[in-house]
Amino acid sequence: MTTSPVRLLVVDDEEDLELLIRQKFRRRIRKGEFDFVFAHNGQEALEKLAENPDIHLVLSDINMPVMDGLALLSKLEDTNPDVQAVIVSAYGDMENIRTAMNRGAFDFVTKPINFDDLEITIEKTLNHIRALETAQEARDRLVVLKRELDVAQQVQMSALPKEIPSSETHDVQALMIPALEVGGDFYDFFPLSDELIGLVIADVSGKGIPAALFTLMTRTLLKGTARDSPSPADCLSRVNDLLAEDNETCIFITLFYGVFDLRDGVFRYSNGGHNPPRLVRSDSRIEEIPPTENLVLGIAPGHEYRNGEVRLAPGDALFLYTDGITEAQNTNDEEFGEERLDTKLASLGQVSARDIVTTVVDEVRAFAGDAPQSDDITCIAMRFAAPLSSSTVDGT
Amino acid sequence: MTNENALSVQTERNEKAVIVCPVGRVDGSNVGVLESAIRELLDAGQKTLIFDFEELNYISSAGLRVLLVTARRTQAEGGKALFCGLAEHIAHVFEISGFTNILTICQSRSEALAAL
Repeated sequence: MTTSPVRLLVVDDEEDLELLIRQKFRRRIRKGEFDFVFAHNGQEALEKLAENPDIHLVLSDINMPVMDGLALLSKLEDTNPDVQAVIVSAYGDMENIRTAMNRGAFDFVTKPINFDDLEITIEKTLNHIRALETAQEARDRLVVLKRELDVAQQVQMSALPKEIPSSETHDVQALMIPALEVGGDFYDFFPLSDELIGLVIADVSGKGIPAALFTLMTRTLLKGTARDSPSPADCLSRVNDLLAEDNETCIFITLFYGVFDLRDGVFRYSNGGHNPPRLVRSDSRIEEIPPTENLVLGIAPGHEYRNGEVRLAPGDALFLYTDGITEAQNTNDEEFGEERLDTKLASLGQVSARDIVTTVVDEVRAFAGDAPQSDDITCIAMRFAAPLSSSTVDGT
Repeated sequence: MTNENALSVQTERNEKAVIVCPVGRVDGSNVGVLESAIRELLDAGQKTLIFDFEELNYISSAGLRVLLVTARRTQAEGGKALFCGLAEHIAHVFEISGFTNILTICQSRSEALAAL
């Protein structure tokens, strides 16, 4: 709360009003609550307002020389939109009062002035001004928050892996469409050696900033752990222990992590409560990656994660996704579902990883139509073209 | 944007427990409705809750988080949270996430009451 007096501008060509005001409000002036500035016509009032930008309340007469009260109101609308005016007019002068109200006056009092009424009117107007200021501050804070959210989004998006060029052996492509500025999904892919590629997809409970913080933390922990251990289960167990420490909010993350061996097509993985990815065989059969029957990460310290293993032949592809795909709804509240996903994947034939992700996401969006997107949509595809031969290793 | 209309939470008192029946769908936009209904019960000293999901159409991960917090709190206060009446697709979500291993799931309300 401000301790400096509230400054008010009184505009009237009658000199004795100044004396009267000083007299009637002397206690509040002495206490430092009010401070009055006086002007004798509209022109002078505008000058005083320019000199005293802290004035937000004007008490003005209507009939004055040079510039009258009604003209002043019209000017104020343009030059001082944050100033509220209370009009003083003769009792019965309804025509002028109506004009003043239509030009944006907040209220009016009648002459002869009843000073108790005037004081109430001033207080009421000041409360209104304070409410407007509070609303403005809230709006300003929102603008700042929005800007910070945009930055958070940039940080989050820049933490995602950059595209990697396709090679003779494989190609990988991911696609993510967050539902909010910052999302609760993430994906990652990184080479662990010349022969091994790590693939990650994950979905945090909830969305927004808390979820985004959790995804960044998980991504960093997993990437760090992945370099130390070739076993995905081992990595998940370690990351889970770290996340579950003091996690009273029970925010959790479903996370699938697999390591693909370019030499023999073996994909070792561990699934922490995530939707099972798909294996798209070269003859268009769709297989669900068998579950490892494990829990989401972040809530049960000491949980032992297990590995699973599948083998890809050249021409096979992996498709990892979050429930933003299968749970996307159309305007009839129907879900896209696993069946539609599998049908689409089976219809693709031998296309690039990029074509797999874009075709599936286009299909989901076409299905959803005008229904709002309620969850992040994320998927990664990896197509295995040919095993890494010793000559290819020599060549790189 | 809230979707509060899509969810109502009904409660029934039983001598052994309070039965909580979310009707509709729980997602990020209305999860607060479920959360405050549960908090109100627990703050009033209720220790044992049975969640009957017979009328639940959908639950997002934000809703699952609230169930975890509830299970943890009831346990810490010497009570229990049980879950029954899961439709097939909701049971599927519980299975994939591994929650069937950490939450007490019963087939029916009578089975849940008998388990107390």
